[in-house]
Amino acid sequence: MSTLDVGAYSPREKGVVGLLGALGALLLIAVVTGFLAPAYLLYLVGLSAMYMLLSMGLNVQWGYGGMINFSVAAFFGLGAYGTALLTASGSPISGGVSPVIALFGGLALAAVLAVIIGYPTLKLRDDYLAIASLGLAEVVRIFILNESQWTAGSAGLTGIPLFFSDWPVLGDLTYPYVFYAGGTPVFNMSQSVVTSFLNVVLVTVIVAAVYLFLRRIHQSPWGRVLRTIRTDEDLAETLGKNTFAFKMQAFVIGSLIMALAGVFYSHLVLFVSPQDLQPITTFYVWVAVILGGTGSDRGAMLGGFTIVAIQQGTRFMTDTGALPIGAAPLRLMLVGLLIIFIVRLRPEGILPPERELIWPDSLGGGRDE
Amino acid sequence: MAQILQYLANGLVFSSIIILGSIGLSLVYSIADFANFAHGDTMTLGAYGAFVAFGVFGGLGGTVLGLPIGFFLALAVGMALAAIVAVLTHILVYKPLDTDSIGLLITSIGVAFVYRAVLQASFGTDFLQYDIRRSGPIPLLLDTLDVAVTQRDVAIIVSAAVLVAGLHLLLQRTTLGRKMRATADNPDLARVSGIRTDRVILVMWVVGSALAAAGGVFLALYSQLDPRIGFNILLVVFAAVILGGIGSVYGAMLGGLLIGMLHELTPLLSDVGLPISNAYAPAVAFVIMVAVLLVRPRGIAGDMT
Repeated sequence: MSTLDVGAYSPREKGVVGLLGALGALLLIAVVTGFLAPAYLLYLVGLSAMYMLLSMGLNVQWGYGGMINFSVAAFFGLGAYGTALLTASGSPISGGVSPVIALFGGLALAAVLAVIIGYPTLKLRDDYLAIASLGLAEVVRIFILNESQWTAGSAGLTGIPLFFSDWPVLGDLTYPYVFYAGGTPVFNMSQSVVTSFLNVVLVTVIVAAVYLFLRRIHQSPWGRVLRTIRTDEDLAETLGKNTFAFKMQAFVIGSLIMALAGVFYSHLVLFVSPQDLQPITTFYVWVAVILGGTGSDRGAMLGGFTIVAIQQGTRFMTDTGALPIGAAPLRLMLVGLLIIFIVRLRPEGILPPERELIWPDSLGGGRDE
Repeated sequence: MAQILQYLANGLVFSSIIILGSIGLSLVYSIADFANFAHGDTMTLGAYGAFVAFGVFGGLGGTVLGLPIGFFLALAVGMALAAIVAVLTHILVYKPLDTDSIGLLITSIGVAFVYRAVLQASFGTDFLQYDIRRSGPIPLLLDTLDVAVTQRDVAIIVSAAVLVAGLHLLLQRTTLGRKMRATADNPDLARVSGIRTDRVILVMWVVGSALAAAGGVFLALYSQLDPRIGFNILLVVFAAVILGGIGSVYGAMLGGLLIGMLHELTPLLSDVGLPISNAYAPAVAFVIMVAVLLVRPRGIAGDMT
């Protein structure tokens, strides 16, 4: 690529969009023909969006700032446990708090942990940070697993309400919900479809807001300093930047986004357990980020989608009984091979950041991207 | 007092396992220059290799320290298998990569998953045991010191000591060992001095993985065997390597001894009134690791190779 063609979409981007469009159409056909339950499809969309959030959070830390954070599962888990402990009927602590308020509980927990983990480890060399953060994430998991008087331990937390359960109109819907047009009933929807749909709306709003926020800060002077730190930390230091402060800020922002994903997960699945904090969660998110393209938010979104495709695809493939291998090992194998092949063949990922790094104004022609 | 002696005895067994794991991790860190996250799964691989081999030579020959001779043959098979797989992985995966140590680190996670997926697909996730009858504590030690140590514990400690002594002789007394130390110390200088560092790196993979496999076999013998044992212990092994000083083989041994002891001494904390349960033993090791990284990143034996 001699000249960077920043105005138009590259053939690769068109290919990705085309592929996703085709897959979406296929899923829609599956729903219409009754092969796939609509509520399940909506659930999958919600789950993909959750992985997109996690990937965007990690992208702030690793993609923008070059910090190897192997404690994604801990922040995700704290967000999930934070809201679950406050809202769930099965919570050993309080329960019954409105999810909208509990959301901030989850975020606050994650922010505190981010400072506690970040303060000692962000000064470390890259590979030490990887080992230390994985170790500290395990400490969090062991804590949640063993302090059952606060966290219900290995049994996990049940009785988590839906996010909309106490909202004025949405919390009072009756099911099956009948949709009227001009006084005549048009179609009715079961409870699972309505709640899944509301979850998708919620997560779409969150993903869109986070995406716009990240695009803004990535292009800001703050984002430029962070990219400089990633490339050459000593250089940034020489330019008079307090690199530790910048890294800390990015670490906390990324962790908050991961916690947000955790909060959403709690209210989507309505159950959390220490299993959700296993290191494998962290590595799923890593695959999503390096597959999509390190430093690229669109790439992170593509990666999040791919993870759910792998998780559900392996389940589907083994359900049909066509393979002599269980779903769990097949998934591990695919994730492992993906990591190896990405680093070998395409270390920059499928959608590396290009246009994202350039202000729309500087593209000329007043074109607003 | 007897309680403390008991903890120390347990610690010695656990330390032996950690030491065997940490040597290989430290060798890879110093010679291939990356944090190998697949090392734990190499330990698991060796343990399963020995498991299958033990099924073949099972009850062969008499017994040494309560373990049949066939078990030691199986141990050798497990070590050889891990060494072969590690060398193949190096040639097929790591060597062709044009990336930095972070890229290698991330790749090694993928390698770990592939190893574990293969084991999980072949053997399932159920707990397995080597088919060797467990014997009670050695009466002599139980009577005189009131410490329960089984023959199996002694076998683990002695075997680890033999392997570590063998490595020491290799490193100090042979030309190959001197080449390995030179390469670990300064790869470029070693190369211009005429050492074929490519071959040294292969030897390093063989030695490190074989010792890791031995650690995995003893870990499975000490507790039980499932596809996650290696990955679950990996961070404790990292803690040992970091405490000892990354890249220092003797540091790794010392770090392994200390971390293994601390791991088994954790119950003492609740004996003296600190309400920290046994489940936090790995957590204690991780916290020590982070503290060492902060205060003395070169470890307690930073410069010895």
